[in-house]
Amino acid sequence: MFARPQWVILLLLVVAGLVWWRAPGGERQLVRTALIMGTLVELKVFGTNEDELERATAAAFAEMRRVEALLTSYRPESEISRLSRAAGPFIVSEETAALLQRGQLLARQTGGAFDLTLGQLKQVWGIESDRPLVPSQAELQAALTAIGPEALQIEGRSVSKRSAELQVELGGIAKGYAVDRVLEMLRQAGVTSAAVNAGGDIGLLGAKQGQPWRIAIQHPRKTGELLTVLPLVNRAVVTSGDYERYFERNGIRYHHIFDPRTGSPARGCQSVTVVAADAATADALATAAFVLGPQQGLRLLERLPEVEGLLVGRDGGIFQTSGLQREEP
Amino acid sequence: MKRIWLQRLTAFDRKLVLLLSALVFLSFLVPLRQEAGARLLVESGDKTLFVASLDQPQLVELSGPLGLTRFEIKDGAVRVLSSPCPNKICIGLGAARHSGDLLACVPNRLVFRIAGKSAEGQGYDLLSR
Repeated sequence: MFARPQWVILLLLVVAGLVWWRAPGGERQLVRTALIMGTLVELKVFGTNEDELERATAAAFAEMRRVEALLTSYRPESEISRLSRAAGPFIVSEETAALLQRGQLLARQTGGAFDLTLGQLKQVWGIESDRPLVPSQAELQAALTAIGPEALQIEGRSVSKRSAELQVELGGIAKGYAVDRVLEMLRQAGVTSAAVNAGGDIGLLGAKQGQPWRIAIQHPRKTGELLTVLPLVNRAVVTSGDYERYFERNGIRYHHIFDPRTGSPARGCQSVTVVAADAATADALATAAFVLGPQQGLRLLERLPEVEGLLVGRDGGIFQTSGLQREEP
Repeated sequence: MKRIWLQRLTAFDRKLVLLLSALVFLSFLVPLRQEAGARLLVESGDKTLFVASLDQPQLVELSGPLGLTRFEIKDGAVRVLSSPCPNKICIGLGAARHSGDLLACVPNRLVFRIAGKSAEGQGYDLLSR
């Protein structure tokens, strides 16, 4: 039927076919992690050219480090730290001015539940130090002096504080903003499918191989268990909770999300997850809704366009916006 | 009929067929072996400091810039037991057991990653917490 050389050629074709079939498909996933902005940042990127993906992820991490150097209060030379030390009007970059304006708008929209000026409050609690403490009422009142949505006057690149002692703190928006910048860098590099997770602040670019990304939400009281799973495309998800950054004194848990009205940790929620078009907005709104508590927080999220949310009240009750789609874990 | 085409194969052809068949068969086995169990990788910066199977219980101490972080592999999962970091968030994160799960002690610059195939599927792409 076949001559000998034809058998050998046929055999080689079969082997080549099997090797081709075993080879990875056209699109690959690259996963990279880095420690930036005091948290673990995980980047998942899909594409066909691994070298290009490597370059894109390296550029994305570099962008996040740039944002860290610009906006974090634990870097003494960041613009935000220098603004906090300034006694009079201070000139910031256009980028910082734009983010401060966005933050101020969100502060107004949330009735001050989100606040850009809680730096002093964070310091008196020492919440991120190795010796956190419960401040006195007098210390709390001093830390709350002059804070609020109108505490900063922003005119172009010039920022004036209502009080020289006012400390600007972008912890409730900067990480989300950095996630947005990472996605923008990836988009510019031609990536169409990616996800970035910066310690729970998640940004999604496109879908995952034609399917929605499946974003799990941590149960606030059962370590290792999931509350729900959200199928999402091109969205940002941020969760604020009382269960990771906290300390205990005399059986009371003191966490890191402060109510600007009292200066103490907000007590209405165990966790709040917000889904929005961008991570900076989701970040700020998750903090605000947590501060407002489940009922008021839910009303806030319901009235904002392109925003959904899932709130766990202090007794474990679950509240969600009408448009949120979720699945059982 | 079969006999005719078999007769056309020389001894070398038969060896070649056997060799290639064995290679194809092995190519299926190798990745399967790699994914048989989940592995823990502990990384610091660009370096992988520690690799172990999650099937083998053990207590391990690794050094970071702040000092020793102590962790445990038990029941197919890894959890941080003690750490010199100020807020102990890494301890509060609990256990990691599924492929893709991550834990980190940020101040001590240690990242714990589960790789390979775990017994249960993770069922999600990213975790928001």
